[in-house]
Parts: sequence; structure tokens; C-alpha cells
Amino acid sequence: MSRFEILEHTADMGFRVRGANEEELFANAAAALAAVVMDTSRAQGLERHEIASEGEGVEERLVHWLNEVLWLMDGRGVAPARFDPGVVWGETRDGAKHPPRLVVKAVTFHQLRVWQDAEGWGAEVFLDV
Amino acid sequence: MTFERIDEVRNRIPRTARANMRTDVMFYASDALRGPILKDRALEQAMNVACLPGIVGPSLAMPDIHQGYGFPIGGVAAMDWRHGVVSPGGVGYDINCGVRLVKTNLDLAEVRGRLRELVDRVFADVPCGVGGKGRVPLTEKQLNQVLTRGAGWAVEEGYGEAGDIEKAEERGCLREADPECVSARAKERGRPQLGTLGSGNHFLEIQWVERVEDAEAARAFGLSEGQVVVLIHSGSRGLGHQVCTDFLQQMGAAMKRYGITLPDRQLACVPVQSEEGQRYLKAMRAAANFAWANRQVMMHMLRGSFAGIFGKTARLSLLYDVCHNIAKRERHDWEGREVDVLVHRKGATRAFPARHPEIPAEYRAAGQPVLVPGSMGTASWVLAGLEGAMRESFGSVCHGAGRRLSRAAAKAGRNAAAVREELERRGIIVRCETRDGLLEEVPEAYKDVDEVIETVALAGLAGKVARLRPLGVVKG
Repeated sequence: MSRFEILEHTADMGFRVRGANEEELFANAAAALAAVVMDTSRAQGLERHEIASEGEGVEERLVHWLNEVLWLMDGRGVAPARFDPGVVWGETRDGAKHPPRLVVKAVTFHQLRVWQDAEGWGAEVFLDV
Repeated sequence: MTFERIDEVRNRIPRTARANMRTDVMFYASDALRGPILKDRALEQAMNVACLPGIVGPSLAMPDIHQGYGFPIGGVAAMDWRHGVVSPGGVGYDINCGVRLVKTNLDLAEVRGRLRELVDRVFADVPCGVGGKGRVPLTEKQLNQVLTRGAGWAVEEGYGEAGDIEKAEERGCLREADPECVSARAKERGRPQLGTLGSGNHFLEIQWVERVEDAEAARAFGLSEGQVVVLIHSGSRGLGHQVCTDFLQQMGAAMKRYGITLPDRQLACVPVQSEEGQRYLKAMRAAANFAWANRQVMMHMLRGSFAGIFGKTARLSLLYDVCHNIAKRERHDWEGREVDVLVHRKGATRAFPARHPEIPAEYRAAGQPVLVPGSMGTASWVLAGLEGAMRESFGSVCHGAGRRLSRAAAKAGRNAAAVREELERRGIIVRCETRDGLLEEVPEAYKDVDEVIETVALAGLAGKVARLRPLGVVKG
């Protein structure tokens, strides 16, 4: 499980994540989102779900990727276990095994930041909850 | 932030404050509310809204305004129907998030003794749907009917009584909704969720009428002191969220084609008359209809809970149902001319005054009922729309207390057991599906709802009818 930091917002919430490269950043951001939605610590990567990359530039691609992960959890009932580039590994969501935390409505473009520095990649993402 | 204080509750940021503003920002705030409003970026967002093409009148901010995404929450903007834009961010992710107030024929004394039993029963009967499903399985065809017919579908299917429809805004259904404009994934996300409350600030609250402020309006609405009522706050669930997500993504690209540049990507908008704009409005109306059916189904489940505890003599009827995240085409008089506008209400409630033809006949002399939920431990209000709202806010008023603290700040240093105990000491029983759901919605996280109401009453946008106090809370 990646580490992430929760960011303050009056109505909703956000998180800051890092990754050594873009792929790891996307995987860690998805793990952070999943951890906001449910306790994924016992989820197993039994099924594979592919997500096509869409959007112009890294920011749009990140928001699209995260909204697709959210749709898998809320629309398809998937409990994610791990993330590869363009792929979500998980199993069927079960309230007892993956206790729910929050309903996230969407991943937004609000104050969205993706950057690259000496330590790798970073992103700040806000969620509508 | 430079603003002029016009009077006790009116404040203006002139259009000259920033180069690209097309109009002023008008915000309603008393001295007590101005502080918290100036603390976050809500007014900056209201200034961004003032930059949108085709805005008619000022960019308006109600006293419960707080920072949202793109539009501020508590914002109202009227866009010219022919030459203006439509913005999904001006409606929000939770399309037709709204409030339904259900009257009962029971009084405080009758309910108090069986309150815990009642709250447990409601918690069991009305699913929160956090990470789970509702109990109204829908086929694809049925879902399309929900999207087209709204609350009317629910009543025809047996989830309610015929009279329920009469008392909802738009009679629980926006015409010109098109399920074809709703994506397959939005349908897949929403289909199992009909009749579920959701989480976050959504709740179902058993309340009692503590004080009637306007005896005549209260009589028209069927409210009396000591009466038990139930307030349901919920929206279009995953279906509406996905509609907003889908269109925001599409509009990002479309904006370039229409040559629209904006200070915030989240404000994405397209001309109302464009194909994308019309498709969004048809999908938005379909999602709004889902929300009305959702609240109708929950009211039906609630009737079952009350019958289970109090027997068949317990009667529940709808006072009114309002939406506070919506864009609607309306005609208004503005500066001496009739305008045809798309009124975006993002965390704002329609508040039409007495004699308006859109108001149910029984309420027409009193004005449209406006339902304003407060925070978990404090109070909610029933108001009635006034002429002032027609004159200056396109028939709109506030929608709640408005958050003051972030979720993280609300949770800091608090534990769920202590919060629950404190509420119980005040006679309020809470059942919450998640631990965080309780902590994030502690009363201290919100502004003082009474101060918000005082402000809109002083401004002449809506008048006080009754103050409601909570008894039992069910939430996700």
C-alpha cells in the first residue's frame, strides 16, 4: 500500500501522492483513491480490468484514470488490490471483507497539480465526496 | 478581497475587480458570516462565474456559500438561453441533490418513547448504499422509465401515494429528459442504487417542529408545533455523478472549438444552444428524475418503518421536495425586461413567491416552501419564498448551513463514541454506517444555520415559517 497525505478542502477532500516515475505515480494515486473509498487491505488481485488511457497531457490522463478506477469500484463493484499501468487487479467488492469508508462522487480538476522534481513525480488531487 | 458593503446583509464585488469579469458578484452575508466566507476561496470562485459568457445579472452567492469545484457551493448564475453557456460544474456532481420534508400525524410525546426503536428500524429499512446495493432491482427498460418519468414512475410502481407527486418541485419530473444521452456506464453505476441514501452530508433525519414563526404559512403547509416530521437529503447517486464526470470530460475538448477560455478547468462550459450543451441538459434532466424517484422510494420505505412501529394509524404525507443542484430554463423580469435564462443553482434552492403558478394550489397564498437542512445536532428550517428573491436572485435562496471546517479538521481530536454520547445527551439518536461519516458531519463543522436564515430573511429572499429540531439521524 502506498503512502499518501490527505489535503484540506472546506467541502471535500484531496490527497498528495508521489512516485518514482509516472507509472508509479498513477498506481499510487489509484491506491490512495481506493483507500478513501474502502479498506482494501484484504483485497486480492483475482480479476484483471483494463483501462484505456485518454486525455491530453498528464493531468487529464491522471483524472481520467482515477475516474475510471472510481467507476470500477462504484459501478462494477470491484475491490482493487493492486495497479499496473492501465490495469486494475482486484476482486468483487464485499462490505464485510472491504469495509466501506466514503462514497466518492468524482475525481475533479480542482486545484489539480502534477509535477516532476529531483525526487520523481508528485500530484495533488481533489475528490468530490 | 475588495468588496463594498451595501447594507446589513448585501455585499458587492464590482466587475472592475478583475479584468475578465463580465458582471458584479453579489453576496449575502451578515457581519458574523462574512469572516468564515472570506476564509476559503468561495468568493474567488464566484468571481470566476462572473467571467462566464452570457451571464445575466450578477454572479450571486448565498450566505451558506463555501468553496466548491468550479462554482462555489451556494452560488446562483442565470445564463442567457440563446447566447449563454451551460456548465455542468454549475449544477455539480450530485445532480438534483435535494431535500424532501415528510409530515407525520404524530407528535413529539408519541415518538420520544420509541425513538431508539424507530431510528433502528429506519436504519434497517432505508439502505445507505455505501459500498452496497439498494433493494429496488431495475431492468434497463425500467431504468429508462425512471429517467424519463422521475417520481411518477416510483408512485405508479407502488412506491408511494398519488398525492406525493403534487407537492414536489416540477411534480418530481423534468420534461425533455433523454435516457439516450446518459452513458451506459452512468446507467450501470446508478442502476443498483435506486432507493439509497448515500454518504457524505446526505442523511435522513427525524425531527420535530420546535417553533412556528409564520402561523398562516405553517397552516397552509400543514405544520404545527410539536409535530414530528422527517427530512430526507439525498440526490441522484452514482448515476448523476457519472453524468457530470462524462460531460466535464467531453466539454474540455469542445470548449476549444467554441473558443471559450476560463480561469478554472472545473468551470468547463459550452453554449446552451450547442449540441453538447443540449445533450448535457437532456442527460442532466434524466439524472434529476432519477433523484426524484430515489427520494420517493425512500419515503415509501419510511412509511413502512413508521407503520411497523406505530401501526397503520401513522400517516406520512409529503410537505414538499426541492432540488438544490440543478440548471433550469425560466423566465424572469430583469431590469425591466423579460429574460429567458438557464438558472444554475449550485447549492441553492428555488424560492418562488406567493401567487407564482409553479407553486401547488394549497401553498400558493403562502409562497413556495423552501427546505433548509442544518447540521446534525442543530436545527433545520422551513421558509417560504418572497418577492425579493424574484427581484434580485432569480427566485433563489440558500440551501443549508454551509460547511465551516474541512472534513479532516472536523475529525481532528474527536472520537465517534464521544460525539454519539454528546448527541444522545441532547436527545438525538444517531445511526451511521461508517465511523468517519459521523465525525465529518459533527455540528461544529458547519456555520450557524440560524444566522444563515436570519440573513436571507433580512434580505427579503425568503421568510421564516418554522424551525425544526432533530430527534434521530440516519446516515451513511
